[in-house]
Amino acid sequence: MGHAALGQVMAAFAAEPRKATWLTADEMATLQALVDVILPATDSPAASAADTHYFIDLAIPACASPGAQKTFRAGLVSLSRFAGLKPAEQVSQLKARAAADMPLEYDQSFFKILKDYTLCGYFLSETGATKALAYERVPGGYQGDLPLAANQKAWAI
Amino acid sequence: MATSNQFDAIVVGSGMSGGWAAKELTEKGLKTLVLERGRNIRHVTDYTTALKDPWQLPHNNRVSTLADRAAQPIQSTLYLYDQSTKQHFVNDLQQPYLQAQPFNWFRGYQVGGRSLMWARHVFRYSDLDFEANQREGVGIDWPIRYADIQPWYEHVERFIGASGENSGLAQLPEQVLQPPFEMNALEKHIRQHMAAAFGGERKLICSATAVLSREHNGRGPCQGRNQCARGCPFSAYFSSNGVTLPAAAKTGNLTLQPDSIAHSLIYDEGKKRVTGVRVIDAQTRKTTEYSARVVFLCASALNSTALLLNSRSSRFPQGLGNDSGELGHNLMDHHNGGGATASYSGLLDRYYRGRRSTSMYIPRFRNVGKSEPGFKRGYGYEVYTSRGSWTRGIGSADFGSDFKNEITRPGQWNLYMEGYGETLPYHDNRMWLSDQKDSWGMPVIQMSMSYRDNERAMAKQMMDDAVEMMTAAKLENVKGFNNPVTPGSVIHEMGTARMGRDPKTSVLNAHNQVHSVPNVFVTDGSCMVSSPTQNPSLTYMALTARAANFAVEQLKRGEI
Repeated sequence: MGHAALGQVMAAFAAEPRKATWLTADEMATLQALVDVILPATDSPAASAADTHYFIDLAIPACASPGAQKTFRAGLVSLSRFAGLKPAEQVSQLKARAAADMPLEYDQSFFKILKDYTLCGYFLSETGATKALAYERVPGGYQGDLPLAANQKAWAI
Repeated sequence: MATSNQFDAIVVGSGMSGGWAAKELTEKGLKTLVLERGRNIRHVTDYTTALKDPWQLPHNNRVSTLADRAAQPIQSTLYLYDQSTKQHFVNDLQQPYLQAQPFNWFRGYQVGGRSLMWARHVFRYSDLDFEANQREGVGIDWPIRYADIQPWYEHVERFIGASGENSGLAQLPEQVLQPPFEMNALEKHIRQHMAAAFGGERKLICSATAVLSREHNGRGPCQGRNQCARGCPFSAYFSSNGVTLPAAAKTGNLTLQPDSIAHSLIYDEGKKRVTGVRVIDAQTRKTTEYSARVVFLCASALNSTALLLNSRSSRFPQGLGNDSGELGHNLMDHHNGGGATASYSGLLDRYYRGRRSTSMYIPRFRNVGKSEPGFKRGYGYEVYTSRGSWTRGIGSADFGSDFKNEITRPGQWNLYMEGYGETLPYHDNRMWLSDQKDSWGMPVIQMSMSYRDNERAMAKQMMDDAVEMMTAAKLENVKGFNNPVTPGSVIHEMGTARMGRDPKTSVLNAHNQVHSVPNVFVTDGSCMVSSPTQNPSLTYMALTARAANFAVEQLKRGEI
């Protein structure tokens, strides 16, 4: 394949929108809005820029208990208008949800499941680990006691 | 595959002990067959996940999936288990065992065994340990003392390469160690305050660990990845795959045969010797017999004993070497339910770089030089500290920009410490062969083990002492814990074919030689007579090297 042809294939591939495997398009829209309220863009990209909502769409059906899966989907359905809310309304609605869900057991708590998977999805992604945090695949050794630099991010792992 | 079925020596198992048996026997010129029941794992080449970033692993290396938990319901509960290490643990459905009482059996059936994933702590035992049973009238006496094993500890340490700090305490004898990895700021703080509060009787030191802080024989040093259980591409920690098996292979005398399940030992009534091993090919299920002049069992405590129990003849109707009836009995594991957590809000201007794959250690101080009320024996602590990471945000109700900025900065200092306590040998803590068969037709192992009053009293004190020490070290939010422990969970299975002086009460003699069948040696955890608090692998390696050299001398003299 020539370079030109390869370029066309790559462009077509990039243009193809990523598809969710478990959640519906509406649920994905809600989830995308939620992960960005939890981890918005700061000096590092927002959660959705690291495809955190796609991570969750794959990881929850693969890893979470059937009960937690059910809780999670029901939670998204109950927040179906979330993506269309104004930013301040999103924050107050999620705060209310957090207050209601924090006392619940994990499998019954939409907020706890959402927080867990949003943080794992973002901070262990390449974007999260290298831009929001500090990451070294091969640190090259160990230095136990260093002065903390002013701009030092926490280690991703 | 072996081209001939005749060898000078056969070693069953390729892990911590088997690798050492292979190295010593081949270096002494013996043509040696190493049988491994699992698949081959070639050093470096087969460490398929070693250099993967979290995002290159399934689900960002989330601990386990539903499918993992279905196939590996026991293994997947282990702290080491994740998407980068799960290939080093058995499928529990294919490798069943029966729990008469709850027992966690964590296993790695592959070349290298659990030496691929071990926690790498290497401490010596002392005469406080070797004399304990006799002094207290517990179980039977160890047939060896520190002087018997001391040169072999040194032999092993010089070859495997270990780093750490000598404690200067008699109960933790001096070792051959590379310089330790550095302490972090909180550890230095704790060390200083403990020295002031306890006058050297209780102290924080860098654990002796088979992780290289310096280059050693072309291996290492450690690159600070702390991903050891994936297999180390820098050969910076000791594994059978990376160290002893290559040394054995270099002699030209090694035949390493994976996928080979030892079925039973073949006993010759006339010669009163074992003449070989019956082996099932794990893939084809075909049975083949291999012969040798000497056999070393290094298949792990429970599996070596199971092999002896499955080797029945008219001379040994209850299992080979089981004249005493002790085979399968006196099963031990450590217990680690007692400890403490704490935090520290100072030293916020200090941090670290790299991921240290070793721990800090507080050596045993109970029942040392004096006999204390409440319980026999003692415990040491592993101590782990770090600054808070993003994971502290998972359980909170917070979110948003401030939240994100906060959890992407190093948090306060945290500490976790747990005691590793000695468990007494109880005759009725045991394993045996059930009537059930696995898919290779091998009898399924059943075990029954429980902790008793001595361990419970010790665990309570383990918690209280941890709280006392961290309070003395001026830490904050010091909280003790005393959690129930399921036997097997510490992965230090010991006993079931114990050494001893008297064939009536023990299976092995002072050289790990089966009393009644002198060309069979058992040198893994099954030989243990008690369970000293220090991590046991170094002792298995030293006993194996000692037994292998003894066996070679006996062969030369025609005594076996």
